[in-house]
Amino acid sequence: MMPELIMLLGLIAIVVVPNLGDAKFRLPLTSVRVPVLLGGSRFELTNDPRMPNRISNLTFSLALLSSLLLISESPSEVGGILAVDSFSRLFSTMFLAALLLVSIATTHRLPAKTNAHIPKESDSESVFDRKISILIDNRRQVDFYILLIMVGLGMTMMTMATNLFMLIVCIELASLSTYVLVAFHKEDGTGGEAGAKYFIVGSVASAIGIYGMSLLYLWSGSLDLEILRQSWLSMDGIDPFAAFGIGMMLVAFGFKVSAAPFHLAAPDAYSGAASQVSGLLATASKAMGFLALFRVLVMITVPDGSEAIWMIALGIFAIVTMTWGNLAALTSENPKRMLAYSSVAHAGYMLAAIAVVGSGISSVDQNAIILTAVSFHLFVLVLFKLGAFLVLALLETEGKGHEIEHLYGLGRRDPLIAGSMFLFVLSLAGVPPLSGFLSKLLMINGIVSTSASTGSSSSVDIVSWAESVDPLFWLAAAIVLNSALSLFYYLRIGLVMFFEEPSTEKSLRAAPSLRMAIFACALLTVLCGIGPVSEWLLDTVSSAIDSLMYE
Amino acid sequence: MGESKNESGLLAFILPFLAVVPALYMLEWESHEASILIVAIPFMTFPVILIAGQIYNGTEYWKDKLKEGGILALGALGASLSASLWLVYDYVDSLPDFYDQQSITQWLEWVSFDILQSDYTLTSGTKILGMGVWIDSITLMILFVATFLCFLICWFSLGYMNTDPINEDRNHRFYGEFVLFALGMFGMVLADNFLWLFIFWEVMGLCSYLLIGFYYWKDSAAYASKKAFLTTRVGDVFLMIGLFILYDIYGSLEFSVIFHDPSLDGMVDSNKLFWALLMMFIGAVGKSAQFPLHVWLPDAMEGPTPVSALIHAATMVNAGLYLVARMVPFVDVGHHGVPGLEELGLIIAYVGGITAFMAAAIAFVQNDIKKVLAYSTMSQLAYIFTGLGSALWFYNNDEHHAAVVVFGSSMFHLFNHAMAKGMLFMASGSVIHEMHHAHDHIHHGHAEGHGHDFDPQDMRNMGGLASKMPVTATAMMFGSMSIIGIPLIGGFWSKEGIIAETWLAALEHEPLMMGPAILVLLTAGMTGFYMSRMWFMTFAGSPKSEVVNHVHEETPWIKTPLVILTIITALGGFAFALLGATDYLASAYDYSGHLKLKKSTLLESIIYKLEYAFLPDKMNLRIVGWVTIFLSFIVGPVFAARIHGGKLAEGESSTPLVSWLVSLSSKFGSQDVSNLSESELSVALQNRLYFDDLYEGILARTVIPFSEFTAWFDRKVIDGMVKQVESKSVLGSVQIRNLTTGSARDYILMATVGMLSIIALLWGINS
Repeated sequence: MMPELIMLLGLIAIVVVPNLGDAKFRLPLTSVRVPVLLGGSRFELTNDPRMPNRISNLTFSLALLSSLLLISESPSEVGGILAVDSFSRLFSTMFLAALLLVSIATTHRLPAKTNAHIPKESDSESVFDRKISILIDNRRQVDFYILLIMVGLGMTMMTMATNLFMLIVCIELASLSTYVLVAFHKEDGTGGEAGAKYFIVGSVASAIGIYGMSLLYLWSGSLDLEILRQSWLSMDGIDPFAAFGIGMMLVAFGFKVSAAPFHLAAPDAYSGAASQVSGLLATASKAMGFLALFRVLVMITVPDGSEAIWMIALGIFAIVTMTWGNLAALTSENPKRMLAYSSVAHAGYMLAAIAVVGSGISSVDQNAIILTAVSFHLFVLVLFKLGAFLVLALLETEGKGHEIEHLYGLGRRDPLIAGSMFLFVLSLAGVPPLSGFLSKLLMINGIVSTSASTGSSSSVDIVSWAESVDPLFWLAAAIVLNSALSLFYYLRIGLVMFFEEPSTEKSLRAAPSLRMAIFACALLTVLCGIGPVSEWLLDTVSSAIDSLMYE
Repeated sequence: MGESKNESGLLAFILPFLAVVPALYMLEWESHEASILIVAIPFMTFPVILIAGQIYNGTEYWKDKLKEGGILALGALGASLSASLWLVYDYVDSLPDFYDQQSITQWLEWVSFDILQSDYTLTSGTKILGMGVWIDSITLMILFVATFLCFLICWFSLGYMNTDPINEDRNHRFYGEFVLFALGMFGMVLADNFLWLFIFWEVMGLCSYLLIGFYYWKDSAAYASKKAFLTTRVGDVFLMIGLFILYDIYGSLEFSVIFHDPSLDGMVDSNKLFWALLMMFIGAVGKSAQFPLHVWLPDAMEGPTPVSALIHAATMVNAGLYLVARMVPFVDVGHHGVPGLEELGLIIAYVGGITAFMAAAIAFVQNDIKKVLAYSTMSQLAYIFTGLGSALWFYNNDEHHAAVVVFGSSMFHLFNHAMAKGMLFMASGSVIHEMHHAHDHIHHGHAEGHGHDFDPQDMRNMGGLASKMPVTATAMMFGSMSIIGIPLIGGFWSKEGIIAETWLAALEHEPLMMGPAILVLLTAGMTGFYMSRMWFMTFAGSPKSEVVNHVHEETPWIKTPLVILTIITALGGFAFALLGATDYLASAYDYSGHLKLKKSTLLESIIYKLEYAFLPDKMNLRIVGWVTIFLSFIVGPVFAARIHGGKLAEGESSTPLVSWLVSLSSKFGSQDVSNLSESELSVALQNRLYFDDLYEGILARTVIPFSEFTAWFDRKVIDGMVKQVESKSVLGSVQIRNLTTGSARDYILMATVGMLSIIALLWGINS
């Protein structure tokens, strides 16, 4: 529980540290003044508005480090509702990595201004307003990072939950914080609206999910995942309570992973929020939904590898999701919305892979391979999806980034950033040898090798073979066709960056820490696609999945 | 004028590169683990050169200290050279067993796939993207040749490219592409499967296009690069088809799988395999510029001279030979080979023989010094093809001893030719460079337009350069001698073996072999003529233009590689031959250790070698051998000397050997052949036997109408379909986005619809 503890301490520190001052307490009846540190006029160091950002960076770095070190820790239980194993550590490592990147990248999104002064009576109205807004901005720094750490706590705790109730609570802890983060820039209108919409739709989805959970409780009398699994195994036929419960929970998680048709609020939220936060939603928050799907769908309902009741539903929803996402992205003129829809499409690819796990025709090994592929995809998505959003965040520092025109001529203005962005979209499209290719290939390979073995080996030609093969095979075909479609809008980004005239020749803001985060993402996008790093990551993911599947 | 300044201090920059390999040795790496660096270091360097060149172009440091990237390229190639020397050192005495060789080391292990076989069953975990290193004597030899020559040529380029104002500020392109080209060759030789071999093969194809077209604003260069690219592409398509068939037969392209048992326990359809190998051979024909795909090579001389050296000696042309050499296990009936493939050997030998003869004939009338060398390259490569063809024939008829001898000779000829031709090209570059500078020097400040028609490559403007450029003259003399096959010098040993064994095949086994045998024998004499002619025209006699008098041999960086290669050509070939290079090179396919048993001590083996070369056991071979020597050593050079030889001008002198040779040439009298140059044959030869016209005519009648049709098809049908897809997708996109109304109420409605449909699907299906 080390990373969680660190985050808790960070949370306390982030509240306490900016309030440290030289306040002293005079012992009654004496003249002895004992420093109490809290309050009074603050120290120069703690008064620095950039302090919360630093604390948050430090917290996430330490938490990530400890999570990495503990990744192969032996499983242990905490209080019957949490269990730490390498699978949960793997995912918490991913969440923390994403949060660390976001935390580093937000240094330049909420610029803390060091020249803050208290307005005087004599100031004119405009100066007065400006000073106040600077003060408010500085003051809000701490709120942002408190929320971010709350997201982290929720996410890492949910990886460990073995109880459905705990799972939902943790997801809600993270979700509620993200709703606020989306609406964080309430001044500019779109942010507030987006946050409100996201919150309303999200809470409806959660409510449906919790109702489903209560149906499951009604059916089995427990919310412990292991007990639910046993009950499912011993269930005679399909109990309506159980089926309805699972179906309704699918809605809640479908919203989290932004599967169609529950995704509709997502593009609004992504485009309204700061790009860093959108990146967080598109990667870590989505991964959280998939993790919940793993737990509920795979762990509870297919304990013996038989065909799952949700297989056909999930397959259909996967195809609808990926097609919807790609089609909608095709004509998006707002890069943030485009990335949001592309994120919907990616959710579709992963749902398709999970549908195959529930098909009952795949062996346990093949299931492990597919889940490895999906987890690996979630992992590398943090690199290139978040990276792409961070590039937009860099544009946002000058008030741009919500129109495709703002990307025009980026290649000339800032070749390195444009190059990184191009790398990210290529990886999203799945171009070898980038990591997006590897993960997509692994997923398609998993689907194909599972379903192609059902093809009749006595076929005389390819047509009769294709007729004999299990319909799941066509999920892979759908992914391939959709990927082809998606190339249109991914490559368009590259096109406008390198071949259109920029409206200004000025190079982008320096924003060193944001750039650092972008370059780290770009480098890892390549390294995780080919070479020893990718092998190591794949091995780690695969052994974590094995610990989940063969326990 | 390239003033002679000492720039050797710049070599300090390459020390970090050279330190890589010793450092890894200290860290107890194995040489095969480090072999990835042979490719990886150039691969990491070439983008650095290109990008840095683009950014720092024109700055003083980049230009003077880094030589516009040349020093970086030299360092990278130096690192490759040291890593490959390490590999050679480690494995030269302990080659892994060829037929049971597993890839020594795996560089790259990417994903594995389940493959759907043609019988609709799945095989799991076939690794098709992995790459490792394959080591045998051929790999080691070609790897050494390639890394060594690339290093020297890069060194030479520092002098040649960077002192020419026309290249100013563009040299980073040259060096970047050069390094990419070099790594293509290294990777191709090291690859342990045909897929990666093909990938690197194509890397070279691309780079040859880029480098031949280095002066792309010249129409001739743009045309030549296009021609080279398209012509080799014809071969590449066939190679690809060959590899497809091969994959169909073996289900893998890994050497270790295929060569383990190429006959698959006698199950292989020899007809299918024949077609696979023939297609691959056509690929090799394109790459190595053999008849009938030879037309690109002379035009490729449009590139800068180091490129000519790179393509025509060190790398690309050897790729085809390497590919054919890899075919031996398929046909070696003594060891799991497939019988019934003799025709393949015959076809290869015929293609080789015809090319050798034809190219030599065309070389007779060329006046451009580089063109002579280009045709000579074609002709010499054809020798090797002839040798390999007869080797394949022998292997397929289980004549193991003869097969091994001629195979070894062919490979050794590749070595000798690469060294000599690399040096000849650099020497010719030296001549051209100095002629050019001298010309610029004379006409500096003179009337405009004067001498724009001057061609520094035309040998008719040269003559008497021996005294001006003694080092170059000596180098070129030894290079030419090696190519001609003057006894005891490098090329002699290998050429003798090829000719003798081809005749052996013709006389004792297969009358059809007589064709190539006669052709290569005649070519031996013709080689003697045209190489001598080139040398005499350039260096002997009195100057034929004023420019010659102003030539000085003083550009830095150029001499060193010439001297090194001269020593290797003059002495190395001799030494290697006596030490048994041919046997060693054949050892890859010599499973029974046939040759190692022959002679035990070094002295005995040397005597055996000499005896074999000059007094072989078989009478007919003895005759063939002496006829070859007579033709190449006496007839060819004497005719050349009669026509083009002559004393140097009064008071001029050169190195003793060169002076002696020049004065010797004047003793054969002289003969005027200007009337011959008007003859029909001469005109035909000057027009390269009309091959280019023929191809252009055929292309204009067949390919161009067809391509017009495909262009129409592409525009109307394919684009039409794509446009349909696009407009339909955009329409769908607009419609589906209408569903995103922006109102949370609608979103919740959609979510409810989603929920109901999920429940309907779950419940409806399961009850």
